[in-house]
Amino acid sequence: MNQNRDFYAGLVATVFFAIVLFVLIPIYVKVPSFIPGFAPPPDMWPRVVAVIGLVMGILALVLAFPKSRKASGETVTSLGFYVNRNKVFITRFVLLLVLFVTFVYGLPVIGFVPATVLLLGILFLMTGNFGNKVWMIGLTIIFPVLLYLLFTEVTHTPFPEGMLFSNSLSDLVTLI
Amino acid sequence: MWNELLFAFQSVATLPNFLAMFAGIWGGVIIGAIPGMTGTMAVTLALPFTFYLPPVTSLLLLVALYKGSTYGGSISAILIKTPGTASAACTVLDGYPLARAGKGGKALNMALISSCIGDFISNISLFFLAMPLAMFALRVGPPEFFMLMAFSLTIVASISGRSLVLGIIAACLGLLLATVGEDIYGSYRFALSEDMKSGLGMVPVLIGLFALPELIKMIVFRPEDNSQAMKLGDNRLTLSEFRGSIKSICRGSVIGVILGAIPGIGPSTAAFFSYSEARRTSKNGDKFGEGELEGIAASESANNGACGATMIPLLALGVPGDVITGVMLGAFMIHGLTPGPLLFQNNLGEVYSLFIGMLFSSLFLFIAGKLTAGAFTKISRIPQTLLLPCILILCVYGIYSIGASPFDVTVLLVMGVVGFAMMLLNIPAAPFLIAFILGPMFEDNMRRSLAISRGDLGVFFQSWISWGFFILTILFVTLTIRREWKKWRDRRASAQSAS
Repeated sequence: MNQNRDFYAGLVATVFFAIVLFVLIPIYVKVPSFIPGFAPPPDMWPRVVAVIGLVMGILALVLAFPKSRKASGETVTSLGFYVNRNKVFITRFVLLLVLFVTFVYGLPVIGFVPATVLLLGILFLMTGNFGNKVWMIGLTIIFPVLLYLLFTEVTHTPFPEGMLFSNSLSDLVTLI
Repeated sequence: MWNELLFAFQSVATLPNFLAMFAGIWGGVIIGAIPGMTGTMAVTLALPFTFYLPPVTSLLLLVALYKGSTYGGSISAILIKTPGTASAACTVLDGYPLARAGKGGKALNMALISSCIGDFISNISLFFLAMPLAMFALRVGPPEFFMLMAFSLTIVASISGRSLVLGIIAACLGLLLATVGEDIYGSYRFALSEDMKSGLGMVPVLIGLFALPELIKMIVFRPEDNSQAMKLGDNRLTLSEFRGSIKSICRGSVIGVILGAIPGIGPSTAAFFSYSEARRTSKNGDKFGEGELEGIAASESANNGACGATMIPLLALGVPGDVITGVMLGAFMIHGLTPGPLLFQNNLGEVYSLFIGMLFSSLFLFIAGKLTAGAFTKISRIPQTLLLPCILILCVYGIYSIGASPFDVTVLLVMGVVGFAMMLLNIPAAPFLIAFILGPMFEDNMRRSLAISRGDLGVFFQSWISWGFFILTILFVTLTIRREWKKWRDRRASAQSAS
């Protein structure tokens, strides 16, 4: 199992650093037309790091490949096999990603407090343990509101009110 | 001198000063323990209150807040794997495994004692060595900084765990992410969106990388014991455990004092440096990262040791070493005191009062830490299914409050997912962390040095400080290569004998 993980870690690192080196740096690291004195250009350091990362990724692949072949009967466990065997885990992970993305995009729409209340409630549901129902319901509502009060009163943080609820919700929370 | 010291002692030993110090330490510990709330925030928030206080009382309040918040970061680092402050990031590595093993109280006690000793040694150094240390700090320019950072980065080899190659991959990822945003000459790198132009915040990255993967793992895999609270074992720190760590505590305190006195380094780097040295020299070095008390002792003594020392360049030279001392410089000015060599001539009474007050603050740190940590230990009794989602919400609020930026919340969540992927692929998080913290200092000082010398590499070998760190770096890299080669040969020999 460890050998397979090492192989995939090497693969992911090789692909990632290759993308950084050949795609991201040429596009997203602009070299200015004038550099004062002998100042190394801004792309020098990211290039050095990406090259080292790429070399290490390939090295991890090379070191893991023969061992994983041996460990899993002359073949490296395929990605398809992994996906099939871990369908439930992958579904949960994808659902969690969807939840995070919805939270980030929903934050400016419904406001900080409702968004965090919903996030906490859904996270409690996703843990799959309903032994502390009363605590879960209570915390879902009270904990984000308490934090909202703490941070608005102590640090005066301007949390987004949300386009749907405008000021009314925060007024209500402050009133409570 | 002794008359002035006696007079200063009398002026410090008043109820308002003690109350200010105790309130500052306690407030700092609580603020530091809340993820996302930093010492800088605590000191800045308290600054307006100091307008109405006498100069020494207000300065003691601010210093106490700084020290309290530095220690407070270790509480959440140990109990919930969430470093309350960046300087406590190193404490997570051994603190959380200890808490999981039911030794959270023991870890907190070690963190508190090491912090207090580090703090005390740092205050003593401030008292006796302010001027020589400030002069030493002035000799450290970009080339010396670069060599120091290069040596610090060699710690990656010792915290990579099972595979050095995967450790270097993690470090490269950290170094790369640290380059996001504007560089020292105003060029933008990897600014895929407008928000990324100002770079990735250190706190969202650290908290996302450590705190969130545990939650994601619990939701995805739903281990059977996730409804259980952490075990509560023996929480007392024994004399032999303390004795076993005393060397690391003393060394960490000295490292904290020296690095803290150099403007721009700060407690986080000091903590990593000390951790690295403790790991290299300890007989339990192999157990570091799995729940070793000595690891906590090394990092906590260094980060608190650096706290008092950051006051050295401020008081002796009038140079603020970081944001917090920058705010304190403002507090000095508000009260008509101008830090620098003249401060020791014109306001010697206030300076001595501050020194003596800071010595008292170590005692207050111990009392407040003991009381607060005892209350926080109860967190261990909360079932993980309730605790971990609440930690995420706490982190979301804390992170948002730093810059009122939804982008920071996005970084937190993305780093959580990255951390989970790294966990699945066995890529260690610790090398990523150290590279992300030290990377910008390493690169900036390398580019500055080369710009100053017009590309001449000889700039890195012009002082004995640079040479010292260069030799240590080469020595350590050689030893690492030798160790890895030996490991590879042993593995090959055992595989051949098995076949």
